[in-house]
Amino acid sequence: MSHHTDENHLDGGFWRAVIVMGIISALGMWGVVVFPIENYLKEAAQQAADIDWLFRFMAFFSVPILVYVNGFIIYFVIRYRTRPSDSIQATGSPIHDHSALETWWTIIPAALMLALGLLSYKVLPEYYGAQAAAVTMEAIGHKWDFEFRYPGLAQSVYNDLYLPIDVPVTMDITSSEAQADDAVIHSFWVPEFRIKQDMVPGMVVPIHFTPNRLGTYRIICTEFCGIGHSRMWGSVHVVSQADFNTWFATQQKQSANGGPKVNVASGDAGAGQALFQQKCSVCHNAAPFDQRKVGPGLADLFDDPQHPALVDGKKADPADVAEILEKGYTGSMGSMPNMQANGISSTDIANLVAYLKTLHK
Amino acid sequence: MAVVEVSHATSEHIHPPPETFVQKYVFSFDHKVIAVQYFITTGLFFVLAGLLAELMRAQLAGPNNHVLSVTMYNQAYSVHGSAMVWLVIIPVLTGAFGNLIMPLQIGARDVAFPWLNMFSFWLFPPAGILLFGSFLLGAPEAGWTEYPPISLQEPAGTSMWCAAIFLVGVSSTITGLNFLVTIIKMRAPGMTWTRMPLFVWATAVTAFLSFIATANLSAALLALFIERTFNVPYYDPSRGGSPVVWQHVFWFYSHPAVYIMVLPAFGIISEIIPTFARRPIFGYKAIAYSSTAIGLMSFMVWAHHMFTSGLAQWVQLPFMILTMAIAVPTGVKIFSWVATLWAGKIRLASPLLFVLGFLSTFTFGGITGIFLASVPADIHEHATYFVVAHLHYVLFGGSIFGIFAGLYYWWPKMTGRMLDERLAKLHFWTMFVSFNATFLPMHWIGLFGMPRRVATYDPVYGGTNLFISISAFVLGASMLIFAYNALRSAKHGELAGPNPWGARTLEWMIPSPPPYYNFDRIPIVLAAPYDYGQPLPYRDVAPEYLAAVPRF
Repeated sequence: MSHHTDENHLDGGFWRAVIVMGIISALGMWGVVVFPIENYLKEAAQQAADIDWLFRFMAFFSVPILVYVNGFIIYFVIRYRTRPSDSIQATGSPIHDHSALETWWTIIPAALMLALGLLSYKVLPEYYGAQAAAVTMEAIGHKWDFEFRYPGLAQSVYNDLYLPIDVPVTMDITSSEAQADDAVIHSFWVPEFRIKQDMVPGMVVPIHFTPNRLGTYRIICTEFCGIGHSRMWGSVHVVSQADFNTWFATQQKQSANGGPKVNVASGDAGAGQALFQQKCSVCHNAAPFDQRKVGPGLADLFDDPQHPALVDGKKADPADVAEILEKGYTGSMGSMPNMQANGISSTDIANLVAYLKTLHK
Repeated sequence: MAVVEVSHATSEHIHPPPETFVQKYVFSFDHKVIAVQYFITTGLFFVLAGLLAELMRAQLAGPNNHVLSVTMYNQAYSVHGSAMVWLVIIPVLTGAFGNLIMPLQIGARDVAFPWLNMFSFWLFPPAGILLFGSFLLGAPEAGWTEYPPISLQEPAGTSMWCAAIFLVGVSSTITGLNFLVTIIKMRAPGMTWTRMPLFVWATAVTAFLSFIATANLSAALLALFIERTFNVPYYDPSRGGSPVVWQHVFWFYSHPAVYIMVLPAFGIISEIIPTFARRPIFGYKAIAYSSTAIGLMSFMVWAHHMFTSGLAQWVQLPFMILTMAIAVPTGVKIFSWVATLWAGKIRLASPLLFVLGFLSTFTFGGITGIFLASVPADIHEHATYFVVAHLHYVLFGGSIFGIFAGLYYWWPKMTGRMLDERLAKLHFWTMFVSFNATFLPMHWIGLFGMPRRVATYDPVYGGTNLFISISAFVLGASMLIFAYNALRSAKHGELAGPNPWGARTLEWMIPSPPPYYNFDRIPIVLAAPYDYGQPLPYRDVAPEYLAAVPRF
């Protein structure tokens, strides 16, 4: 019945295949070393390099596993294929198992996992172990803005985070609980810092990091938080200590003056259009009033008799619209956050008003 | 090997076959008919959920597309994920394959509780109607995980989602219990635990997981439903609830569910490789016991989905180590399968081709799973396209490739007809290439900064996303080849005969499709089924079925 032959399975062909796979693995492992993630995504905080090293360690040992699993599949399928000369009843080797082989392919992965566990454990405390932080601040997630509170600054900063270079930061991360429908989970991710922490309402989680590269990096929300989630972005500006001090002083002065004034007449409609696409279009269509998203459509805002009176029962004029953009709105049409929460400046407001004037049906 | 003394049960109690159309095809108690019902319903849900995925890819083909509104996009990925997990992969692997194959492989005439089996199927169509009908009332938007508090703020469709998944959970629990009892009590005489086919081992562990784990999800869903409907604050933090509690309970179910979605596929792989390598499976016991180990360990790793949720460091550590430890039994399986190809007489037919695709893609998905287990690395990768890529490599590259391997393998048994082999190979290569082209690039855009669950993104990822979308359309189109092949086989498929592949497990020792009540006489099992080249280890099987030689 059995047509198994006693051919030598560990012959020259087998070892040649093993060597070819070894060469391919070596090329892959070399690639892992010479093309680090850092080439494509900068490392801008102290622990980022350790995390990238850990990633590279995993990628390095993954390459031979992938190459040998796929390589042996291809080699065995070619070498042991049924040939036209084979009997229909031909069968393969009757061997059921091989305890030495099975022991090795249990022990080696287990050892690799143990090594990886220990290395990960070594890198882990950098997130959670408190360092002697020079900046201790709060980050609060809102729909759909990042609010930052600095000690010594009366008002919050929205979406644009400034940090001095090489100064350890402790950031207490949480989410807004101001109103029930604002209290959702967000996540604070700065890819260049390799840092992510969910902003959970009712929970404050401190994270620790030290920015170490000048530049502006994106803050991205990674937990679904509603219609504005896709565009819930902020920026972190890592600046020199001197620039940081200048920025901080300006913020303190603005805070004392109750914020800058808006000059409605001086707007740039082109810049306003770009900003509208980026920010307002999440909730508003550039279309007639009845084409609602979260809020009403905004075409012909100043001229369309269909538009309900916005403020004080009178027809909207640019100053009224600017006021809504500045202070936010709560009323019959829903609610809209204020300029800080929307992360727009007084120049932005002027630009937006100029753009809205150009919007006709 | 010890000879086990066995004899026939004295009374063989066979009901007459049903006569009316409704008894035969609608409310049937026959496990084979119920399996086909599962195949048809899950196939329909697969098409619907797949179309949602294509819509998502149309939206994501450009950074600022307006194919879907933001809300529609959010609903599309939430329903896509929920449907693929609960209405497609879990029921097709347990309800369809488990029902069709497991009773045949243990030499039983049906499952232990046929009425419950019928009942558990009929929970599915209402669940599907509720889930897809949720679009009418505002479908869920927070993904298949539906984390509160955001899921508390969504429109009424999310309550329909709760009800749908609850029904699926009840069905899954009942099926788990039913299969466990069937496997424990109804194996043919002589079929000891170590003579069971490996698909039965996998189904047993899966049934155990479904039976134990699903009730946790049901509890969490019930609490979400009650909070949404009656405003009892389980999860609302402003009134003393905790949103993180949902995450713990959800993942305490949903991590075992990952293995519910892949262990039966492992079982399918373990059946197909020896058949087409014409030799015994390498390391039978290692494969069987590693399934059990994976099943038990799957209850101890749930918090690895929550490394950025604010867990204390001392909590993260054991979850990281245990998650990495699961890689060891999984590796044992993969190495044993590859070693089964060694020194075989390999017949590269379509079922084996899909198995090889599975081995390649699932190994890749398993390795990126380790990247996600390491806490510091996970903190960067969590909730990005890296995770989307990983989960599709295990659920599509693993489960779906395994499902197609099983379909091509058992189609002749189920229908009595062969599928066309050239179309099958065309399907495989189109699917394998477009699958990798779709999901491989997602690893990089995730690592370099693209979060998941977004309708628009930074234009720097525009080129890659366009490539992914085009590949995804090809991947979707590749399914049409299978659909055509399946329909074509009804008329033009060659007659399969009882055992077209020359396999040795019991389902091939009876005609195709199997007759009502399966076995004239319950066979007696003398040894494990995989000893190719040896006489078949069965007594009381009609001699015409005992020539296990491949016809195709």
